[in-house]
Amino acid sequence: MVRSKAPAKKQQKKGIDFKKIKRKLGRKLPPPNNATNTEIKSKAIILPEQSVAAEKSGLATSKKGLTLKELLQQTSHHNAKVRKDAIYGIKDLFKNHPEELQSHKYAIIQKLRERISDDDKLVRDAFYQLFKIDIFPACKEDNQGPMVSLLMPYIFSAMANSVIDVRLMAFKFFHLVVENYPPTFSLDAEKILENYKDIIQKNHFYVQDKSKLKVALSGLAHCLSLLPCDESDTESQKKGPLQNETLLAYEQDTAKDCVSFAHVCGRLKEIVGVLINCFQDFIPLIHAPRGFDADSFDCIHHLLRSIGYAIKFSIRRHMQRQTAWQPASEEVTLMILDQDIASILLKNLLGSFPLNPENNLYGKGDERYFRLNSVLTEIFLEVSEWSHFPTDISNRFLEFIENTLLGKITRSIRLSKDIHEKTLLALFPFVPKLILRVDRDWRDNLLQAFTIAFSDCKPESELKLACISTVRDMIIPNGDIFYPNASDRTVNNYQVAWVNKLPSLLNQLGDKHPVSTQVVLQLLLDLGRVGYLNTSPTWEDDIRNFFSLCQGEGDVPGGPFASLPREAQELALCFLYYFTTDKFSSPMMNAIISCCLYPQLEPAVLYRIVEILHTAYRAGYIQITDHFGFLITLIARFKVVPEKLQSPIECNERETYCGTFKEVTKLVCSCLSEMGDSSLVLQIVEKVLLEQIILKPALDNGCAILRMICVLDSTPTRLSERSVTTLSEFLPGYMIDIVNCIPEDKENSYLYIQTCLYYLVPCYFLFNRSSKLTEQVLIRMRSMISENTNALELVQDRESGRNSLNLIQCIISVILLMHNDVKVRKIISSFKSEIDLILQNVITLQSSRSTSLTVEGKHMMKIAGERLRIASTSLLA
Amino acid sequence: MEISVIASSSIDEGIGSWDLKTGKEQLRFKQCASPAHGLTAVGEKFLASSQLRKESTSSGSIFYWSWNKPQAEVRSFPVEPIKALVANNEGTYLVGGGNSGDIYLWEVATGKLLKKWHGHYRSVTCLVFSGDDSLLISGSQDGSVRVWSLIRLFDDFQRQQGNTLYEHNFNEHTMSVTDIVIDYGGCNAMIISASEDRTCKVWSLSRGKLLKNIIFPSAINALALDPGGSVFYAGGRDGKIYIGAINATSEYGTQVLGSVSEQSKAVTCLAYCTEGNLLISGSEEGVVCVWDPKSRRPVHTLSSGKGKGKGPPVNNIQIVRKTIVDNSNKTQSSWKRRGSLMPPPLEKYERSGEDTMDGIVTVDPPPFSDVPVYSSFLSADLIDEQVRELQQQGSAATEIEMERLKLEYKRSLQLNDQWQKNYENLLQVVMEEEQIGGSN
Repeated sequence: MVRSKAPAKKQQKKGIDFKKIKRKLGRKLPPPNNATNTEIKSKAIILPEQSVAAEKSGLATSKKGLTLKELLQQTSHHNAKVRKDAIYGIKDLFKNHPEELQSHKYAIIQKLRERISDDDKLVRDAFYQLFKIDIFPACKEDNQGPMVSLLMPYIFSAMANSVIDVRLMAFKFFHLVVENYPPTFSLDAEKILENYKDIIQKNHFYVQDKSKLKVALSGLAHCLSLLPCDESDTESQKKGPLQNETLLAYEQDTAKDCVSFAHVCGRLKEIVGVLINCFQDFIPLIHAPRGFDADSFDCIHHLLRSIGYAIKFSIRRHMQRQTAWQPASEEVTLMILDQDIASILLKNLLGSFPLNPENNLYGKGDERYFRLNSVLTEIFLEVSEWSHFPTDISNRFLEFIENTLLGKITRSIRLSKDIHEKTLLALFPFVPKLILRVDRDWRDNLLQAFTIAFSDCKPESELKLACISTVRDMIIPNGDIFYPNASDRTVNNYQVAWVNKLPSLLNQLGDKHPVSTQVVLQLLLDLGRVGYLNTSPTWEDDIRNFFSLCQGEGDVPGGPFASLPREAQELALCFLYYFTTDKFSSPMMNAIISCCLYPQLEPAVLYRIVEILHTAYRAGYIQITDHFGFLITLIARFKVVPEKLQSPIECNERETYCGTFKEVTKLVCSCLSEMGDSSLVLQIVEKVLLEQIILKPALDNGCAILRMICVLDSTPTRLSERSVTTLSEFLPGYMIDIVNCIPEDKENSYLYIQTCLYYLVPCYFLFNRSSKLTEQVLIRMRSMISENTNALELVQDRESGRNSLNLIQCIISVILLMHNDVKVRKIISSFKSEIDLILQNVITLQSSRSTSLTVEGKHMMKIAGERLRIASTSLLA
Repeated sequence: MEISVIASSSIDEGIGSWDLKTGKEQLRFKQCASPAHGLTAVGEKFLASSQLRKESTSSGSIFYWSWNKPQAEVRSFPVEPIKALVANNEGTYLVGGGNSGDIYLWEVATGKLLKKWHGHYRSVTCLVFSGDDSLLISGSQDGSVRVWSLIRLFDDFQRQQGNTLYEHNFNEHTMSVTDIVIDYGGCNAMIISASEDRTCKVWSLSRGKLLKNIIFPSAINALALDPGGSVFYAGGRDGKIYIGAINATSEYGTQVLGSVSEQSKAVTCLAYCTEGNLLISGSEEGVVCVWDPKSRRPVHTLSSGKGKGKGPPVNNIQIVRKTIVDNSNKTQSSWKRRGSLMPPPLEKYERSGEDTMDGIVTVDPPPFSDVPVYSSFLSADLIDEQVRELQQQGSAATEIEMERLKLEYKRSLQLNDQWQKNYENLLQVVMEEEQIGGSN
């Protein structure tokens, strides 16, 4: 619409009466004056954006360039293909942009959940895959509760859909949900079971297709496996770990989870009935000569497992109610006491045991039959506790159990190992009660079979652990199982046989499988606690090897004990406490000692060993002589400086070992002082201790032994004459060693004196208690000095000269150190004459013209002499 | 009645006793070498202690002392050495735990052995009665702690049904149990047990399970409960007294009240005296020390009269209130008929036959054999129900209160009206007077 150019004409107005209008061809008529203006004006025209042309940089898109929002919109498109593509698109989007899922999780689910009851099979499958592969794995960490609660209403409505395929998909999807978030089941258990019951009941419509039935059955089996068998289980789950609980706090009475399960029991009963009917349908298939295909097998397997779980759950609950003095609630008892169920179970289910093909041609099929049979056996074991079965049925089952334990079946049909193990794992927990129930012949057979199974399985396997817990049940009486001890010889013999295997098992496990070791140790400890450790000699050998491998001297490879984790060590030590009752032989003690001396052993464990043995002594398990032997040997043989560790960090190492040893010495001393009247104890150990002294132990060990003597001795000394003489021979050398071994720290003289003091204090105590000892020691020192002075005069050799000089200097340092201590100063002041004599010697040495004495040596002597003189004069005052 | 502290030792040094307030030493009871937890006051009447004996003697012995004589007056000789000994609060029953793990229950007045049962696999180390004397808690060298109901022990019917005798069996300790205390929670009480495995464990009596595990740096010999109930004191083998918080979040108990002396030996026993809030500790080196737990300082030490300061190693401390029974008192109890103040010695064996039945509480078998006995006890349910009722509709009491308030409200409304009327009248009078005055 182009406007005519009117303004150009206006100039021609010249007062003409009649306007001459010149019209040109092709020109348009001007619009009439009364024309309505139909023009539309606007500043801009906005068109809805076309998705193809839209600018999407910065937004997450799928391969086809669609954003999440668009894709979600398309999922409800009327065309099935578009819906499917949209779901694939979402999948694709998540692959490249996982963060999209996290941020829009709930929106996505809210939209997608409608698709669960989609008419199109492909869409449903895509939907299932999307959740299985992408959404659930991605949301593993965060709380899935709200997610699942969004889904549940749609799942329920899909479960009731008229199209059977939709319903199946709903069950399949529900199974997926339960797998990812198990609490789903407990929230709506009743409703869910109702749905399952429905679909299984109506299986006649589609029993032809086993794969479909399988979907429902596998889901049901999974759900039922989630039923809590222990009421305490649910409680402890709710409470969380022990430490988090606040005691003495206001307790909220929350509704218990198990309440929701209380109503389930009635439903379970119906389900079991339906399942048994369903099983009946399969029977012709089972006995068919050609066996059955994989799908049917899965169906039957899930079916039997479901029955098993349901029965287990109701029986366990019933038992708990009984033991907990709770009035048995109606629906719980129904299950077991109901004669209908019991008879149906017996006739239609257990009566058909064992399941076998008509002709044994198919090797692969046999494994399937075995698995079905083992599930049936589990059900039998659960039920037979409560109701009595005809002997022929029981015998068939017992035979199966025995053969399984013996592994006979495995050999005959080449059963794969893990299936056999799985079956055994399921059977073991029933064995203790079963053996109590069956008659004598069967009991002996089963015990025999179990013993063989026990020794056959590998030490570190899970099977062994299961065996061990079974053994525990069969020996240690607990609440509901009580084995007649000693009343029956055969049972007793088997029990002994099992216990005898345990220590060697410990050694087989070594330090590689701490968890298994811990379990074995716990059992051993508990056996010790109830006093069931009747041991054979090899038993003790094994225990010994556990603590310390090699009995010979020299290099001590620590047994498995030393390298176990702390908890296991603690258990082992507690076991040792009970084990020591009457069985603490000297080889055993040696093993413990060499274990203690193992350099890699943690100090804390070492202290604990000493503590435990002392406790055992106090309880009267260890003889007093053995205990003395242990304490003294430990002190005498402990190596403060291990020879092996001659590395640069030696200094630090020494320090730590020193610290450890000091702590051990303290412990041993306190043990000794708690053993009774100290003068009597001293009388007993005096001889042994002095024998150790004569052997001239290393500085630290010597110090420890002296400390032990000091702890037991009193003022005035109770030591015999001979002991005093022995000590007086030992002490000068010991004191010189102190000065020799501890490097003088010029910068921190306080620390130096403290270190020396640790070693000197026991000497001071002894001096204080016996003046005779003091005198003899001083005399010996003096004679050593004079000997060495003479030697210096005579000998020309530089080397020995230096040695002598050094010795003299050390003795002077010792005397000066003694002089530094106020109390000791008093003691030695009565022996001033000796010190004067020493001074005399030093002075003569200074003036000697021996060639072996260097200028430096002379100078040192001079200083020493000077200091000694000052000390000596102060003694007078 | 006076409160005094008594302490016995494992070596034959007798039982020392001191007045708690003054710390003055009182009579020393002679000839006593008791094992740990082997000393008990029977009611407030006299003192009983089991005795350590030589290994060779097969039988055990329990001595009684009356408050005012140093010599043991009554000596009984049970079949085996008794370790732990405890009497109920009233002093009517005496329970002893034997070396073999058997537990013996005697009636004090007659000396009859009412019941003997196999309680543990190894020797019984400590026995404690619950606050109301209905439950007995025993600890053993095998590391187990068991709770026995005194009523159910005599319930033959239950036993025939193969039910276990104990109410609870706490098995988590891995080494010998050294001491047990129970707090004041009645049937909902908490039990604290100490063990040589360096832990103290807190158990719930009602739920029958482990509540808390507290690890200490040393084996714990003795426990005492603070009356506040949230804290307990634990005497360690390293000579320190630790404070354990029942409600602590940490697994380790390291808070120290103090140690008796610098290089001290193991603390062997603790007792808490609620009068004056004092904690009394005994140690291996023979020092009996009185602490003020609030300030965490020792108040004074109780020393034996020999003046040496350090006595024999103490292993039992008890706080006793003495009531001296004198002849003038009305003698009703059966033992006094014999002309002696003390009850007869304890019997060795359970009597069989009819005569055991007289005087013993018998428990009737439950009316319906399949209904558990305790399901008929409804008190807790009843209370719950009432509480619920109260929450829903309120009780009669609140209704009455409501009525009263309504009435009061009405009355105050009336009062308000009246006041208003008065005020208006008064105002009128004043105005009139003003007018009169103005016109004048």
